[in-house]
Formats: sequence, structure tokens, C-alpha cells
Amino acid sequence: MMIRCDEVTKIFRKNGSEVTSLDRFTADIGAGEFVAVRGPSGSGKTTLLLTLGGMQRPSAGLVQFSGHDLYGLSPADRAGLRSGEIGFVFQMFHLVPYLDLMGNVLLASPGKPGPAVRKRAGELLDKLGLAERVSHRPGELSAGERQRLAVARALLNRPKLILADEPTGNLDPENAAEVVRHLAEFHKTGGTVVLVTHGTTADTHADRFLHLKQGRLVAD
Amino acid sequence: MSLWSHIFGEIGFRKLNALFSLLGLTLAVTVVVASQLLAEADERETRRVTRDMGFNLRLISAETDLGQFYRDGFSRNEMDSAMLDRLATHLTNNVSFNHLVGSLRREYTINGQDILLIGLSETYVAPGQGKKPMGVVIKKGTIHIGSEVARKQKKGRNDTMHLGERQFTVANDPIETGTPDDITIFTRLEDVQSVLRLEGKINEIEAIDCLCLTADQDPLAILRQEIGNILPEVQVVQMRTLADARAKQRQTREKVNQFVLPWVLVACAVWVALLAVINVRDRRQEIGILRALGEGGGRIAGLFLGKAALLGLMASVFGAAFGTWAVLEFGPSLFPVTKKAIQANPTLAWQMVVATPVFAAFASFIPAMLAVSHDPAETLRED
Repeated sequence: MMIRCDEVTKIFRKNGSEVTSLDRFTADIGAGEFVAVRGPSGSGKTTLLLTLGGMQRPSAGLVQFSGHDLYGLSPADRAGLRSGEIGFVFQMFHLVPYLDLMGNVLLASPGKPGPAVRKRAGELLDKLGLAERVSHRPGELSAGERQRLAVARALLNRPKLILADEPTGNLDPENAAEVVRHLAEFHKTGGTVVLVTHGTTADTHADRFLHLKQGRLVAD
Repeated sequence: MSLWSHIFGEIGFRKLNALFSLLGLTLAVTVVVASQLLAEADERETRRVTRDMGFNLRLISAETDLGQFYRDGFSRNEMDSAMLDRLATHLTNNVSFNHLVGSLRREYTINGQDILLIGLSETYVAPGQGKKPMGVVIKKGTIHIGSEVARKQKKGRNDTMHLGERQFTVANDPIETGTPDDITIFTRLEDVQSVLRLEGKINEIEAIDCLCLTADQDPLAILRQEIGNILPEVQVVQMRTLADARAKQRQTREKVNQFVLPWVLVACAVWVALLAVINVRDRRQEIGILRALGEGGGRIAGLFLGKAALLGLMASVFGAAFGTWAVLEFGPSLFPVTKKAIQANPTLAWQMVVATPVFAAFASFIPAMLAVSHDPAETLRED
């Protein structure tokens, strides 16, 4: 099992009141699965994704990644695990505006990127249709190109898992389909994908759907 | 990607933020360099001006009647010139007086004109302070005459005059001063001792008090105790108005420097820190994604502290150059008496090169820590 969540709860405290974003979420996600997470706004989808990625410590419950208690690891070990085994794709791309495309992809490389890493970055940019814009900056790209760049960055370290938070939310249907197609290709090579989505673009690729409502898993 | 690639890239991308930070730091360095160079120039100028005011301490025999002293302008009680040597051996950084000159003063009549004849010893200064002796150096066989002496004796520069049986050459251009100097002939101490047949005798030691305390701080008590311990046989007369003027001028300069510099540095530090806070806010998403990609707090802090240090380094060069240029350009009009002594200070420039990056990093430290402690999940969920 790649990910195991046991009674994972996340409570936010705002202005003296408590908001339960995740409520005793329990599920296992196996290696090689393509999981689509659905639910209305505020249902806890992003919280779940960040928690699975080691970015947000749950208020209660256990999150295991490849058998390790994710939040039992030291921050440095958790950062190392994120860097080596998890790729992130976000709705707002989260690219570094002052780096060119190559620089943004290489951001994912732990330490100074060697020739092999640069070669892989070039191959990924080529594969994602961005080879001719290597020296451009994100601000010069369309939304679809930016998201493909974010996918290239997520794929650089050959991660085992990609966590994608509404990656098609800002894209037209054509670009959305292309981004999902690249995630599906990663899935076909044995990678695990957890995709938070509102749309139906991923329906043909996902082999499992999790439905959240008010932080609770209501359908699997 | 290397840390410095990031830093250079970010500076190039957010030019305005970097430019304003650079301006703030450059201003700080400029002010520090300029104020330091001006302070040095000011001190030289003050020293010269106060030196030109003359000695403000007069040491005369304890037996001297002050009524006679003030009426005649000198003491009629002689002292051994060995006393001057004794006092001079105590000139160190730990005493509150400096620039010792022994003198022998007497009224004298030359061709029917009553004048004041003053013989001056060489000047003794505390060793190791790099201070030049005050006053005019009188060469052997020469005299300096006052304007009234020159007028009545019909003498000028390079003319010869006789004092007793000895002949001297006038070495100055007599100028009217409106003081007893106008009816005075100055020459070397040993010459006056010889003319007056008072070998080995002086009747006054002049000095400058280095306390630079104003009258209300009672410097005279300190000076009398210090000098009295060395020469109990003298009494100390302070020319208080002169001493006060000297003290006030130096104190004013020091106060201005002490007030201006810290406030400029604080203002610049706040300015740099505010810009760094704005920079951290602008880069929240970047920080979030870097954390998501596994970057540690050290690298995040390095992005901000490295940027600050780099801008500090650039500012140190610009500021040192601009501050030096400004002082060299405008300093001479502010300090006309010592304008030739105004010059660049390479040591200060190097100190700025080392200190400014540290100062800039220090000013950016809190914003950098804000960036490090920023919860990336908060930013990443702001989609």
C-alpha cells in the first residue's frame, strides 16, 4: 500500500471557532492507482491533498506513506521524501516567475542538477510541447503551457506519486484534456495519481473516485 | 539551481524592490562615510581653530600676586626652566593638558619704545598622538615683531634689529591684532634669557586643557589637582572664556555626530526591513512551492539574507564612492582652513564593504525568519 489514512482529521481554528476540514478520513491508496477526489467547495479536498503530501500536519489520525508514518518523520526527512517521491501540480501553477522554463523544471531537482537531470528536464519539456520555449519565463506562457510546465516539474524526479489539486481548473477543455492525458501517461508507467477535480475530464482515466462532503468520505 | 542564480534572477525580476533597497543601503553607507570624513575634517578644523585661539592654561609661580599678574600681563616671579622639563615628562594620554610652552616675559625698552619681550621654548606635546606643536616656530637668530613695534621702529620682514648686544632678523610680516602682541617681540627662550641675563629661568608655562569640559563641569579643579601633583610650586590660571569656547565647539561637533549617525542607520535599517517584508509577501507562492518541492528553511532564509548581503555589498561600493566624492567636492567649502587635509579614507571604505552586507542581512533577518516560518500549506491552498 502506498498511502494509508486512518481517521485523519484536520481542524482549523479561525477567529475563536473551529472548522473541521477533514473528518476522520480513512482510506488506502495503492501504488499505481489513479484516484479522482471530488466534492463541493470547502469539502476538504485540498486539505486532504496537502495532508497526503506531508505539507499539512493533521490534527488527529495517521498518514502512512510507503509504510512510514509521514508526520512521525523529521521535517528534513519529510522534505526529502517530498522531494524524491512526490510531485505536486496546483491549479494556480505556482511557478517561479523570474526563472525560465528550464529553471522552473530544475527547481524540483534536489541539489545542483547534473547533466543527466538537465537532459531529463529537456526531454520532459520536449514531451510536453515546450521545447521551443525553454528560455522563456512563465509570464510569457499561456495558462495551458504553464500547467504543462508544472507537470514537467512534477515529473522531473520520477516520483512515485503525483498530487494534483484541480490542475485543470483554470484551463479550457482542450488544454485540460492534454494535462490530464500527461497525468494518465504517468499513471500508465506505474505512477500513482491523486487528482482533486471538479470537472469530468479525468473520468475516463481515473480508476477510483473518492467523494468528500464536509470533510467526510461519503463515497469510494 | 544555485542559490545565487535564484538571487540574481529575483533581483532582475523585481527590480524596483531591489532598487529601493539598494538606495536605502547606499544612503546609509553614504551618510556613514561622509559623516566620518566630515567628522575627521571637522575635528581638524576645530583643533586648528581652537589652536589658533591660543593657549588657555597659564602656569605661573605660586608666589605670584594675581593683581600684579593681571595688571602687568605676566608674572614677576621666575621659575627654573627645569620645571617645564619635569612637567613635560608627564605628558601622556592620561593627563588633561598638552602643548606645553615655557616662556620668559618682561617689559623691555628698545630705542625709547616700551615693549613686551617674550622668549618661547620649543613646544612639548604628548608622544604618540601625532599632534603638531602649536604656535609659530621661531628660528635661531630671528624675531617676530608686533605691528606697533614695526611701525615705531620702522622695521619689516628681513630687517635686522638689536636686542641688547645681539642682532636678530625680523622673520614675520607684522599684522595689527588689537592685542598686546602688537607691542611684543617674540624670540627664542634662550635668547631672551641671554638678553635679560636670566639664564635657566622662565616665568610662565602655557598649555592647553584637553578636557573640553564647559565651565559648569568644573574642569579647573581637575587640572589644578593633576598639575599640582606634579608641580606643587605653580598656580594654574585658566582663561575660561577661551577654554569654554573650545570645549563647546568640540562638544557640539561630537553631539551632532552622535545624534545623526544612529538615527540614519536605524531609519535605513527599518527601510530595508520593510522592503524585505514586502518582498517576502510578494514571494509567498514561491516560498510555498519551494517548501513543497522539499527545500529546507536554510535555503529559504538564504534567498532573503543572500539577497540582502548582495545588495549591501553593492551599496557599500556605491555609498563609499558617493560619500567620498561628496566630501571631496563640498568639504573644502565647509572647512576652508584645513581643506587640504580632506581626503579619501580607504580603510573606512573597506570597513563599509565588510560591514554593509552584515548590516543589510541583519536588517532583513526578521523578514527572512518570517519567510522560513511561513506555512506553505496556507499559500498553496489559496487557489
